[in-house]
Amino acid sequence: MTILCVEGAVAGYNREEQILKGASIHVAAGEIVSIIGPNGAGKSTLLKAVAGLLTLGAGRILFEGQAIEGTDALGRAKAGIAFVPQERNVFGTMTVAENLSISAFLDPSRAAERSAALYARYPMLAGKKGALARTLSGGQRQILAMAMGLMTAPKLLLLDEPTAGLAPGAAADLMDAILALNAGGLPILMVEQHALEALEISHRGYVLVAGRDIATGEGRALAADPDIRRLFLGG
Amino acid sequence: MNAFIQALANGVMTGALLAVPAIGFSAIFAVLRYPSFAIAGWVTLGAFAGWIANTKLGLPSYALLPVAFLAAGLIGGVVEDRSLRLLRPAGALTVAIGSIGLNIIIENVIRFLAGNDLRGFNLPLLPDWRFAGIRIGPQQAENLVMAASIMVAVFLFLKFSRFGRGMRAVADNPDLARLKGIDPKRISFVALFLGCGLAGIGGVLIGLDTSIDPLTGYRVLLSVFAAAVLGGLGSIPGAVAGALALGIAEELALLVAPPTYRTGVGFVAILLMLTFRPRGLLGERAF
Repeated sequence: MTILCVEGAVAGYNREEQILKGASIHVAAGEIVSIIGPNGAGKSTLLKAVAGLLTLGAGRILFEGQAIEGTDALGRAKAGIAFVPQERNVFGTMTVAENLSISAFLDPSRAAERSAALYARYPMLAGKKGALARTLSGGQRQILAMAMGLMTAPKLLLLDEPTAGLAPGAAADLMDAILALNAGGLPILMVEQHALEALEISHRGYVLVAGRDIATGEGRALAADPDIRRLFLGG
Repeated sequence: MNAFIQALANGVMTGALLAVPAIGFSAIFAVLRYPSFAIAGWVTLGAFAGWIANTKLGLPSYALLPVAFLAAGLIGGVVEDRSLRLLRPAGALTVAIGSIGLNIIIENVIRFLAGNDLRGFNLPLLPDWRFAGIRIGPQQAENLVMAASIMVAVFLFLKFSRFGRGMRAVADNPDLARLKGIDPKRISFVALFLGCGLAGIGGVLIGLDTSIDPLTGYRVLLSVFAAAVLGGLGSIPGAVAGALALGIAEELALLVAPPTYRTGVGFVAILLMLTFRPRGLLGERAF
């Protein structure tokens, strides 16, 4: 069953310059799907368009079979799409506990129960409940950002470069955390600069170049494709 | 020495009165990112609402605070939201200029309805308390307690309530707040309601301390603005710290300069702060 279907998406930050020039992707239930490609290909733009932070110039976005391109970010959050941005993805002046509870703003009655489940899943967060989010390390902040995305019990998680700026150990831990989340059935669409590692854990991948999807396939197959390795995975 | 301690005590009380509207000013700035000079009008509106409740309905001083809060909060929230909303896309400077115009309108509507006379609240006349050569009026002490209680209430609201936390989230990172399903329009209205309501309470506290007229808010506008800049624009604890520092500085200035120079303290404070520490005493921290 297809959860998300993007067809011929055209979008950008202003009318004159469209970054996405007709990208099409889909995510099926239970899948991890990675989008790889060179800088400026429109990978993050595609995620933002799905999250409702950018309006489409053309194309369609279907979520669980319903067209959602007309709804804003708030509507898509309510529909069950959680987007974890690459930067500024936590409220730095609030504590870890407050960051989690505010993330359940749409459904405060379940906040305590969901925070408890997330503290059990990520014990590091439980130990830092009272700490201001801006005092966390990069890896801890990414875990918090992901946990915040989970507070709404989303049906689809969008991750924008989750391991950007992390030390290799922390990046590997985060990839494990993403796999563990998906093992519970949560579909994940992510953009990742560590393309090889991302494809290794993905069911499928898309190669995005100049705003268009030019190749797709199973994650490991894409990672093993000699042309793709040479052009996009550094040999 | 006594004169110094007396000035210090007066400064704390003046500062506490300034702190309440300064928190309101900062709350609006933190969420909507523009300095609302219309806050002066809401101070005056709250003062008059409290005055009517006191002199016509006979309510005691503490009961005037919710009256002023609701009157200024509701009228201020709706009017400021509706009238300045269209200007917001044009940027903070445009909205700030719009708020100066709005202030002139509020001031003149009040002048039209209530006249230009000075009005005093109907309060029991009580002798000052004296100890160790220091004089404190019982009403001043009550005002200090009321101002402190309001600050504690605001703190609790921002720390524990759903909308208080929503306000802090929008102040911290509006884009992320939107992703978390926090409706910026609703939070903007909550911030305006709280900010204008606190300005109204400030108006009553100032009125209880002195008297009121249509220029009551305008007279303290510079001090409120200076307190918020001093503490770091948009910072709630900063507004309290800034107001206390400014109140004390204004009273201490009276020891060495004639009272006409008192307002100059605000200008000097803004000048020094923007020159040497533009982010204010506490800066960045919205809460």
